[in-house]
Amino acid sequence: MRTSKLLKKCCGALRKGGALAPPPSAPFPLPPPLSLRERGDREAVGEGFTAGLKPRPSGVLIRIFNAPFKLGTALLLGTLLAASVARGDTPGKPSVDSIGNQVMCVCGGCVAPLNQCPMLECAEKAEMRAFIKKEIADGKDETAILQDISIRYGVQALTAPPAKGFNLAVWILPGVGLLAGLGMVVVIVRRWRRKPAIVPVPSSASLDPKVLTAVEEEMKATRLG
Amino acid sequence: MNQVGSVGLIASLAFAAYALVAGAVGGKLRSPRITRSAERAALGFFLMITLAVVALEYMILTNDFHNAYVAEHSNRDLFTFYKVAALWAGQEGSLLFWTWLLSIYSALVVWQNRRKNRQLMPYVVSVLMGTGTFFSLLVFFVANPFQELSLVSSTGSQAFSAPDGNGLNPLLQYHSMVIHPPMLYLGYVGMVVPFAFCMAALITKQLGDNWIRITRRWTMVPWMLLGCGILLGGNWAYAVLGWGGYWGWDPVENASILPWLSGTAFLHSVMIQEKRGMLKVWNVSLVILTFFLSIFGTFLTRSGIVSSVHAFAQSNIGPFFAVFLAIILFFSVTLLFLRLDHLKSENKLDSMVSRESGFLFNNWILLALVFAVFWGTLFPVISKAVQNTTVTVGAPFFNKVAIPMGLLLLLLTGAGPLLAWRKTSFQSLKGNFTLPLIVALVVGAVLFVEGVRDFYAWMTFFLSVFVLVCILGEFWKGARTRMRTAKENFAQAIYNLTMRNTRRYGGYIVHIGIVLLFIGFAGQAFKTDAKGLMQEGDLLRVRNYMLRCDGLTTGDTPNYEYTRALITVTKNGEAFTSMHPEKRFYKASQQPTSYVAIHPTLSEDVYVVLAGLDPDTGKAIIQVFINPLVMWVWIGGVVVLLGTLLALVPSRVEREMAEMRQAQELAVQAGDAY
Repeated sequence: MRTSKLLKKCCGALRKGGALAPPPSAPFPLPPPLSLRERGDREAVGEGFTAGLKPRPSGVLIRIFNAPFKLGTALLLGTLLAASVARGDTPGKPSVDSIGNQVMCVCGGCVAPLNQCPMLECAEKAEMRAFIKKEIADGKDETAILQDISIRYGVQALTAPPAKGFNLAVWILPGVGLLAGLGMVVVIVRRWRRKPAIVPVPSSASLDPKVLTAVEEEMKATRLG
Repeated sequence: MNQVGSVGLIASLAFAAYALVAGAVGGKLRSPRITRSAERAALGFFLMITLAVVALEYMILTNDFHNAYVAEHSNRDLFTFYKVAALWAGQEGSLLFWTWLLSIYSALVVWQNRRKNRQLMPYVVSVLMGTGTFFSLLVFFVANPFQELSLVSSTGSQAFSAPDGNGLNPLLQYHSMVIHPPMLYLGYVGMVVPFAFCMAALITKQLGDNWIRITRRWTMVPWMLLGCGILLGGNWAYAVLGWGGYWGWDPVENASILPWLSGTAFLHSVMIQEKRGMLKVWNVSLVILTFFLSIFGTFLTRSGIVSSVHAFAQSNIGPFFAVFLAIILFFSVTLLFLRLDHLKSENKLDSMVSRESGFLFNNWILLALVFAVFWGTLFPVISKAVQNTTVTVGAPFFNKVAIPMGLLLLLLTGAGPLLAWRKTSFQSLKGNFTLPLIVALVVGAVLFVEGVRDFYAWMTFFLSVFVLVCILGEFWKGARTRMRTAKENFAQAIYNLTMRNTRRYGGYIVHIGIVLLFIGFAGQAFKTDAKGLMQEGDLLRVRNYMLRCDGLTTGDTPNYEYTRALITVTKNGEAFTSMHPEKRFYKASQQPTSYVAIHPTLSEDVYVVLAGLDPDTGKAIIQVFINPLVMWVWIGGVVVLLGTLLALVPSRVEREMAEMRQAQELAVQAGDAY
């Protein structure tokens, strides 16, 4: 109860400063209710209620930090994407099992990669494994073996289509989607930053320091009780 | 009982259709009487569908093989436990089950809102029952489970009772399969409730805080259940399919993860609207997308438009779903455009380094992931249409696309919650992130020295440590403040801190669960396997484990015959465990399946499969996998579940806020009177 009284005082002080217009129908000044996040955030990190009312830190620091932040994000993203591409370009020494994970069993019954075909006596599985063994014995690398498999059994025998022709679209579009999404985020952020707020944020300069101190003390006394 | 079931179906269809119309009319005319009538019809819909479900379950449990569905999906010797599950084993039964779950949700919504949200309720009921009408039509006219088995001869067809049924698909005869589909369906179906409230808010133009508060809770519940369903499905695949993994990027698996991902995006972006009054159009769009993807998931599973290992029930119902999906999209998007003026943002973004921008990035990655998975899943269909060639888009594609995005999400899991709303100062960033970064770098260096060279695995561990230190630091800082100011001990401080803001700390626990899931996923990079032909006395080595075959036994149960391998495992030369993988042959369905033996530990699972008997030598084909960290996937899932449950508990702060809101409303009313 004490808190709400002090909050009302605080709100009154804001109004004196002209930051908020009094609600037309309320007989006495009322504070806007705090959201969960406002209270929870301040509570858990040990910040007082006044944390949000303190003068904002200089924009210089933010500007200084913004550049490395953006750079760091771009670097991390770039590293992850580059690593993704790099992994695809460096196939290891082929084995029946490593190839078996990249081709589908063509028996038509299991709809599973060759290594995962659960059929007990699957003739197609045995035949495909024998073919892969022969290819490895011929000294072919992974790319060549996969190419031979796509020629022999059709492109649907590969667990992922080769990145050429129309099939290139399956590989490219997720990246395009990611970049388009980023573009949208940038546009939204720019719009938001230009847009004037409907509810003006009260300046801390308009607060009565006595009220501010009282609220701070009150919150310290009650927020964790 | 077929007649009883059919009566239940036709009556439920009538109730649903009436409630759909009455809800809309009641809302338009603002008539409480018509609205109540619509709500009662929704309850009638629930009762009638329940009657149909009870009729079908009764026939399954009493082996009534007059019914074609029962004869197709059950048999006399099937365990009762699995007979119950036969309800959702086939197309007709699973659609009936879907409709029944929808009726339960509808009844709950009607009961919960019998005295509140009265302006929204007519349209909520209308949307719920619109969906109910569609599924009732489908179940009654297209996939009716109450068909009599008939014998067709030259003189015509006559009713017939089979002596025994074909039995349940052997792959479904596993304990987690009994709860996996209901969980998944509860998740899918539950997304209709937030959609209904969203549509009602758009129609009535009541787009304030209320609908978003209701929708958030009603999204969290199905989101949680869908997550549980997905993990239980993974557990089933791991234990039954015998290939040593739990996620294969199968189209049906993808279909289940899509609404979960878009739901996750909504649960985050909704906070921006609650806190700052921003992203209103976006949130409505996400609710629509999540519901659309839920129906799309059901469509993909049931229509058979893509090949899937999970396609247990397919038929020609695709066009009906396509039409329904088009109606949903047209109706909801049109409504959204008509209400754009009511969905304007109330605030502006103060800084790029803020919680708001963190959520924006989170939504960006999540939606990009949704798009990539959706695109990869549907590409075979598109390829067939465009170039008349069927292609397969499987794990190599999805891993390449999804892992980098997943890692970015993991980073945001830790960094996001530590950013302040509106603007985060440099000091705050430095204070919050320095220790986690140092600890993560130290652990990363140690892991590198210890030989962890797989980039993605290393990055996952690095980010996991970073995120864990970030989140645990939040708990520690909060608890320390309480210990200092409220003179509580550590346990009391943690408890009170959490209960004071369950939503926030529940969310942190969910994030910890996500980290554990990622740690489990990273273990796949270190998977090892070996295969060998074994008979009594033969040895098979894999890493530091030695497997010795002590022989093969065979056996017979009423339901299946089995061959069992007796395997003794030693680790570093010391006795470790005995394992008994089986190959089963189910009599009714005449199908084989594996019963994998798994010895789980926190560090790794020993996973032994009896793949079969070699036809030439008669020896057992034994495949063994050493799967590191798999246990953490299941633990992570449980932690996510617990965190979500905690976040659903109303916190002390929420109760205080509700009281404040109430006091304010009273005061304003008093002011009006004054």
